[in-house]
Amino acid sequence: MATALILLPTIGAIIISLYPQENQLKTLTAIISALSLIWSLYLLKIFNLSDPTFQFTEYLSWAEPLGLSYSLGIDGLSLPLLILNSLLTIIAIYSIGEKIERQRFYYALILLINAGIAGALMASNLLLFVIFYEIELIPFYLMIAIWGGEKRGYASIKFLLYTALSGILVLAAFLGIAFLSGNGNFDYDAINTSSLSAQTKLILLTLLLVGFGIKVPLVPLHTWLPDTYVEASPAVTILLGGILAKLGTYGLIRFGFGLFPDTWALISPGLAIIGTISVLYGALAAIAQKDIKRMVAYSSIGHMGYILVAVAAGTELSLLGAVAQMISHGLILALLFHLVGIIERKAGTRDLDVLNGLMNPVRGLPLTSALLIGAGMASAGIPGLVGFIAEFIVFQGSFEAFPIPTLLCIISSGLTAVYFVILLNRTCFGKLDNKLAYYPKVLLSEKLPAFALVAIIFYLGIQPNLLTRWIEPTTNKMVAQITQTYSEIALK
Amino acid sequence: MTQLLTKLPPSTHEFADIIHRLEAGGSMLPDTPENLMQIIGIYKAYAVPMDFYWRDLLYIAERVFLEPLPFFKYFLPQEYLDLQNHYAGDNADLRIWRGTGSTHPELLEFMKKGETFSAPKLFHHLFHDRINMEFAEACMSAMYWHGRDMGMGKFDAYLDSDEYKTNADRAIRAYFKENPVMLGLYKAFPEMFLEQVRQLSYYSNLGLFWEVMAPVFFEMSDIYDEGGFKGVPDAMNFLVNGIFAIAGRPIYHHVYIDGECYEIIPKSKGFTWLYEAALPYVEAVFYRTSPFRGTKSYNAQAKQVPEEQKDFHFGILYADVFPVGTAGIPPTLLMDDMLHFLPPYLIEYYQKHCRGEDDILIQLGITFQRSMYNVTSAVIQALRTALLYPLDDQNPKHLLKNRQFFEQQMDRFKRPEARLRDIQKPEYR
Amino acid sequence: MPTIVDIAVSNDNFKTLVAAVSAANLVDALKSPGPFTVFAPTDEAFAKLPTGTITTLLQNIPQLARILTFHVVSGRYKKEDLTNINSLISLEGSPINIDLSDGFEVKNATVIMADIEADNGIIHVIDNVILMG
Repeated sequence: MATALILLPTIGAIIISLYPQENQLKTLTAIISALSLIWSLYLLKIFNLSDPTFQFTEYLSWAEPLGLSYSLGIDGLSLPLLILNSLLTIIAIYSIGEKIERQRFYYALILLINAGIAGALMASNLLLFVIFYEIELIPFYLMIAIWGGEKRGYASIKFLLYTALSGILVLAAFLGIAFLSGNGNFDYDAINTSSLSAQTKLILLTLLLVGFGIKVPLVPLHTWLPDTYVEASPAVTILLGGILAKLGTYGLIRFGFGLFPDTWALISPGLAIIGTISVLYGALAAIAQKDIKRMVAYSSIGHMGYILVAVAAGTELSLLGAVAQMISHGLILALLFHLVGIIERKAGTRDLDVLNGLMNPVRGLPLTSALLIGAGMASAGIPGLVGFIAEFIVFQGSFEAFPIPTLLCIISSGLTAVYFVILLNRTCFGKLDNKLAYYPKVLLSEKLPAFALVAIIFYLGIQPNLLTRWIEPTTNKMVAQITQTYSEIALK
Repeated sequence: MTQLLTKLPPSTHEFADIIHRLEAGGSMLPDTPENLMQIIGIYKAYAVPMDFYWRDLLYIAERVFLEPLPFFKYFLPQEYLDLQNHYAGDNADLRIWRGTGSTHPELLEFMKKGETFSAPKLFHHLFHDRINMEFAEACMSAMYWHGRDMGMGKFDAYLDSDEYKTNADRAIRAYFKENPVMLGLYKAFPEMFLEQVRQLSYYSNLGLFWEVMAPVFFEMSDIYDEGGFKGVPDAMNFLVNGIFAIAGRPIYHHVYIDGECYEIIPKSKGFTWLYEAALPYVEAVFYRTSPFRGTKSYNAQAKQVPEEQKDFHFGILYADVFPVGTAGIPPTLLMDDMLHFLPPYLIEYYQKHCRGEDDILIQLGITFQRSMYNVTSAVIQALRTALLYPLDDQNPKHLLKNRQFFEQQMDRFKRPEARLRDIQKPEYR
Repeated sequence: MPTIVDIAVSNDNFKTLVAAVSAANLVDALKSPGPFTVFAPTDEAFAKLPTGTITTLLQNIPQLARILTFHVVSGRYKKEDLTNINSLISLEGSPINIDLSDGFEVKNATVIMADIEADNGIIHVIDNVILMG
């Protein structure tokens, strides 16, 4: 069952590379990813809410001496992310624009990315996770290097170096976990770190933190992000920011929080501070930007910081909030990058000083502007939109554990409004420059993805239960395990 | 042309090229087949709603008059639909257009169905599926507001004369003779009522002005369809001749109360179309008007609106057409009106450019701007003919006077917001 | 001596002018003692106007009268009286610019025959119909 989510896009990628009709490739890719979205929605439907452990498990012994097995499983942590993955793939296909060079290769890569991320999210074997986690880099690297902006060479190499390092650190940590804890088994459920010394655990957790921290990214490991996000084409940026970055936070929760509960408690105050710094840094840096895409990229750093603060706090509510924020951020960021991509394609610039008056009802991009305002509101956490729900749960959950970092996060969510007001004021409002304003019209196929995202953002904002019900059992169970560990330690 | 150049050295004005073109009998608008097609097409599209405008303006000035709650002032009675244009139809004083003197058939058809379907007038009115008289009223207000400051002709000055006040007083009393409340209010605030009547006089003024322009534009469209115009200057010269032909038509304000005619401004005052309507209209509407609501701050400290009324330059010759469609931009209403009556060749032309149908309002707005530069050129050439010398005058002093006049006119387009530079380029659309 | 009207009527060059003046009911006024200075456009001058102009004016007498009175100034001004004068106010109310620096020019018209004396004024014959503004 779960394998289908990997197999479907992989086979799709092969079909795309062989399919004779060039002009139907886009539709075909969309159909394939729609199938995988439907399949993941089907899994959602038959998902057992009362079971917090892995469901739809599959086990296939692969290279037993290495401890590598093909074992998959889906729980409340990975299920929403899987759906997000399939959804954003479709969005990405439609945010490419009308014409693209070497489209066969492009669409095949998009499907491979989809397969890889799905694999990483479902892997319940640590080595298998690393394989998917690393495989992912190749299509991303190629997509940035081939279809990126002016400085794509520099950006793609930087991306590759950073994230490959992230993969190596994660692999090192996993090897340490498996071999030092004695049994050499990489299966998630079989691992027990309690036999390790506190020092070893700290070292291993630090490796994981740095490894996943690069991916998230956390300040000061973030420097690859602005360059990569800005140089990559909008479709790639949507996948990068919307879902790939989530592998970092997913890894932190699954492997950091899940495998090292006691050590996690030890370092969580530090994590909360790093998270808060990321939040503030992202917001302040975004305010200073002149390039709207870079602004959104920095805002992404800030919003990923909330997740770390929430995970650090480790309460039932905050962990739930962390996962909800991952989804909400994925949706909102995808919408933002999609709209920024439309603006760049139509207006030919991302410069805040050049763009103006896009709200102009006839010659501007009124609908895009209106949606951008909506996206900005969602990102700034206006009630009624999914951003508010996620941030509210995060703040509510982490306040009791870390009041001051949480307060700083709340303040900086106000800063989100500041830079979005700057962005909207400069780009959407004001007077359209008559010399420049001969923009082509926005096509329906470009509008549709934005409508879909806005609809989901609204719907989940009004009906958050639909988002949290899947996550809650699993996160509650993870927190319960930790509390149990704490009490065991206390008993000793 | 060569002869002219030997007589006068080339102009050193910023718009020297355009001045030389004017001196050669051309228009401010470059002479290209594309420009000719655009302006003629838009004249036709403009003339149809104009046929409604002038009828309704006169209806309001003559019949609605001081109605305290003029809900139905845009509902033309049959009498005004049948009203014979003085310059079209079989009984015309001077037949400018070969067509009918009553309402244009395309207009009648539109009034019946609108953009939607046949329905009672009230539905079309409330649904705003109708001719946008609000635009005509905006033009009237511009003339009214700038009238005093411009001081052109004798019309506005007359509105302050005792004779006018007596005439208006008679009409006001007659109109409210069975309405003691309004009569009481008139006793208490006579100036307020007088001010309303002055405004109505401008309704009449503008209505009489447009009554002439509509057949002029219809005739131009017909001539073009027959292949009659060879270029933009031909179209301009037609306008120049038109201006002269009707220069002497009287401008007046009559009010009909209970079948009796009250001459608030009698024809015998000698007010003429050229001096009391056309020239003030061009100045007030083409050049001055006022900024669109919402696009400029009226806060004095912001200094976005000129201190002197004469420095207002927000008319169609200066207007930024791009915000058309935004709330509070009156020309949007005109663009919308013209949209319903575009000739097929113009629709086809717009579909091929920019965003096609999606931004047709702006495309036709810019065409309209071009066409009004041509009308303004005609006015400039007409003034030159009336007040100065022929273009082929043999006296260099006379040619210099002409040159100075043209330069003076072009000075008004030196302002950065003037669109004269833009309309020289076909890419401005 | 004959009046202004008499001189105009007796001259073959003023047929249009005479017709216009009588249509505008200004004959009596111009026969009155005055004195007036009249800038009289010849038939040729009227012929220069685009077609339709005269038709419209003849249909609208007050408007025609206004244009005609613009050609009349109250007072008796010979060419030599005008050397130091830039403009005269017409009976219509608008000013008429006078330029003697190079010949004798009245607005955009040239005087082709100056100082025709009449009983009640002076006639200057001009080659263009002059217009206000």
